Amino acid sequence: MTTTLAGGRAARRQTMRRIRPRRSPAVPLLLAVWAGAAAVLWLWWHDTPSIADDNGKILNAGRITGLLAGYLMALVVLQMARVPALERRVGSDRVARWHAMSGRYTLCLVAAHVFLTMWGYALQAGKSLGDIVQQTVDSVNQLPDMGKAAVGTGLFVVIGVSSAGGIRRRLPYDAWYHVHLLTYAAVFLTFWHQITTGNDFALEPMAKTFWYGLYGAVTALVVWYRILTPIRLNMRHRMRVEAVIEETPGIVSVLIGGRRLHRMGAEAGQFFRWRFLAPGMRFSSHPYSLSAAPRPDMLRITVKAIGDHSARLRELTPGTRVWAEGPYGAMTAQRRSRGKVLLVAGGVGITPMRALFETLPGAAGDITLLYRANTTQDLALWDELAAIAEERGARLMYAVNSPDGERPDISPENLQRKIPDIERHDVFMCGPPGFAQSVYEALRGAGVPARRIHHESFEM
Amino acid sequence: MRKSHPVRRVVLATAATVSGVVLLLSLKPASDPAAASAAGAAPPATAGAQQAPQGGQQGGAAAGSGTVTGNTVQTQYGAVQVRLTVSGGKITKAEAVQAPKGGVSSQKTALAVPKLNQEAVAAGNANIDAVSGATYTSTGYKQSLQSALDKAKSLPSGSAGTGSAGSGSSGSSGSTSSGSGSAGSGSSGTSGSAGSGQAQTRTVTGKTVQTQYGPVQVRITVSNGKITKADAVQAPAGGLSSQKTALAVPKLNQEAVAAGNAHIDAVSGATYTSTGYKQSLQSALDQAGG
Repeated sequence: MTTTLAGGRAARRQTMRRIRPRRSPAVPLLLAVWAGAAAVLWLWWHDTPSIADDNGKILNAGRITGLLAGYLMALVVLQMARVPALERRVGSDRVARWHAMSGRYTLCLVAAHVFLTMWGYALQAGKSLGDIVQQTVDSVNQLPDMGKAAVGTGLFVVIGVSSAGGIRRRLPYDAWYHVHLLTYAAVFLTFWHQITTGNDFALEPMAKTFWYGLYGAVTALVVWYRILTPIRLNMRHRMRVEAVIEETPGIVSVLIGGRRLHRMGAEAGQFFRWRFLAPGMRFSSHPYSLSAAPRPDMLRITVKAIGDHSARLRELTPGTRVWAEGPYGAMTAQRRSRGKVLLVAGGVGITPMRALFETLPGAAGDITLLYRANTTQDLALWDELAAIAEERGARLMYAVNSPDGERPDISPENLQRKIPDIERHDVFMCGPPGFAQSVYEALRGAGVPARRIHHESFEM
Repeated sequence: MRKSHPVRRVVLATAATVSGVVLLLSLKPASDPAAASAAGAAPPATAGAQQAPQGGQQGGAAAGSGTVTGNTVQTQYGAVQVRLTVSGGKITKAEAVQAPKGGVSSQKTALAVPKLNQEAVAAGNANIDAVSGATYTSTGYKQSLQSALDKAKSLPSGSAGTGSAGSGSSGSSGSTSSGSGSAGSGSSGTSGSAGSGQAQTRTVTGKTVQTQYGPVQVRITVSNGKITKADAVQAPAGGLSSQKTALAVPKLNQEAVAAGNAHIDAVSGATYTSTGYKQSLQSALDQAGG
C-alpha cells in the first residue's frame, strides 16, 4: 500500500489530502445538555408563581432537584446506549467518564430530592425533621406510583454503593456489571411517579409529552444500539475463533474469522466488546482493541493476561463462537491533523498502535512508534513491527528498563533529542494510566499542543 | 488528559448546585401570610396584578367582587384547592374544589372541609385553625386559601361569569385526573349546603369531562328548578387553550342560564371545550333533577 508512494514533497501532499480531521461533537452535545437543563429549570420557574414560606422553599428545592435528576437520568442511560456518534466520534472512554460523573451527580440529586420532599411534607403535616422516616413510609403507602419509586430508589442505592471506588475494585467485574444492569429497572420504576405526582407534568401537558418523548427516545436508542444492532452484526458476520497464538509470555493473540468482516466498518485503533461462547466466559464481554488492520476474513486481538477473563483466553479452542459488539472508539486516523505522527505504546497498549502503525497514511519518515516495555522479552509483536517499519520506512524505537531495573527517562529533552520536530507531530498514545500521565507531561513539555495528543483511557 | 481533581470537582459541583437552587428559590416572590391576610379583603393591590386572569380585565365594576380559585396544593393524601366567592371585599363563601378522597381520607375530608369553609368565611383571612385529625388537608387548605386571597385582591372582576372562567382555568391546571375532580364535587356539595343553608337553592357540580385539551367541569346553582348560575370549575388552560377558555366559557355560562338545559350552541373555535361543557352540564342537570 504505502510502499508504492515515493518519498518527498509530492508524496507528502498526497498524504495530506487524505487527512481529514473530524472534530469531536463533544462541545455541541454538551451545549445541548445544558440547554435541556435550562429548559427543565424554566419549566419549574413557569409553573411556580410564588413560594410562601420555608416549607414551600424546601418542597420547591425538592421539586427542582427531582426535575433535574429525572432529566439527567435519561442522559446517564443515553450515554451507555452505544450510540455511534458518541462511541466513535466523542470516544468510548470519554463517554464512559461522563457516564460515571453524571451518574454520581444524578444519584446525589435523587438523594437530595427524596430528603427535601419528605422533609417538606413532614413540615406541611406539622411534624418536624425527626419524623421524616415515618413521613416517607406514609408517602410511599399513600401516593400513586410511590411504591415503585421507592423500590427503584433502593436499586439506585445498591448500584451506587457497588460502584463506589473501594467496593467496585473488590467486586468481580461480572458481578458489578450485572448489578449495574439493574439501572434499567430502577429508571423504569422511578419514571412513573414523576408523571403522576410531579406538579409540573400535571400542570403542563406539553411538559408531559416532552418527558415521555425524552424517555421514549432513550429507550428506542438503547433497544436499537444495544440489542438489535449487535444481533444483526453477529447474524451477518458469524465470527469464530480461528487460532490462539502466544506472542510473549503472558500475551496472546486471538485470530477471529468470519464472513465479510471488512463490512463491519472497523478502523485501526478501534475495539470491539468480545464475548466468547465458551464455558465460563459466555456471561461477560470485554473490550479488546484490534491489533492489526481488519481483513475481510480475519480480525486479530492481542491481550495480556491481567484478569480472570484475559487469562482464560489462551484456553480458547478454534471454532468457538464469538459474539462481538462494535466497532467502538475514536482513536483512529480521523483524529489526525498533521502529516507527521508519533505513536506511543506502553506494554500491551501496543495493540491499537500496532494497527495504526500499519495503516496510518504517511510517507517514509512520517510515522514514528515509541514502544515502552519492562524488558525486551515483553516487546510483544516486535517482529511484525520491525517488518512494517522496514516496509514503510517508518521509525521504530523502544524504551525498556536497564538491566538493574531502572526505568528509562522519558523527559521532554530526551523526546526532543530523539524526534527533533516533535512539536509538529500528532501523538497517539495508549498505555497504563501512570505511564500515559508521565508521557503526556513530557510531550507537553516538549511543545506538543494538548489538542494534538490523542489518548484513550478507561480509568474512571 | 489534564490532571483530574476529584475533590475539587465534588466541591465545585455541590457548591454550584446548592447556590443555583437557593438562587432560584430566592428569586421567587414570597407572599408573606401576615401581610397578605391583612390585605386579603383590601382593594386591588398592584403587586399581584400579573396574576389576574384574562377575564378579570373586562369587568370594571365593584372592586374585590367575584370568584377566585386558589392554587392546587399537593398534600400527602391528595390535592387541595380552595375557591372563594368575594363580595365587596369580604369572603362570602369558601369551598374546596379539590380535597383528598378515598378510604379514611374521604371521611376526614367530609369532617374537615365544612369546618374549614366556615372558619375561612368567619376569619376573612388564612389564619384559621387546623382541624385536628386532618392536619394535611388543613395545611393544604390554608395554603390554597392564601393563594386565593392573593388573587382576590388583584381581581376587580365585575361579573361572576368572567371571574369563574378565569378561575376555572386555573382550577383545571392543578387537577390531575377526573378522580380529584369528583372529589371536588363531593366536597363542594357538602360545603354548599353547609354554607348557604337555603332549602330551595342547590349547587351541583357535574362530572369532569376529559377533552383533548384538558378537563372540563361545570357547576350550576339551581333555584326553584331553574339554573340561576353556571360556571366552569375546570376548563382547559395553557397557551391558546387559556384564550379559548376565556372566550368560550362566559358565553357557555350565559347560554346555560338562558336555556335552562344542556341544548346549547357550541362556541365556534372552541368545539372541544363546548362539547365537554355540555356533557358536564348535562350530568349536573341529571344530579339536580334526581
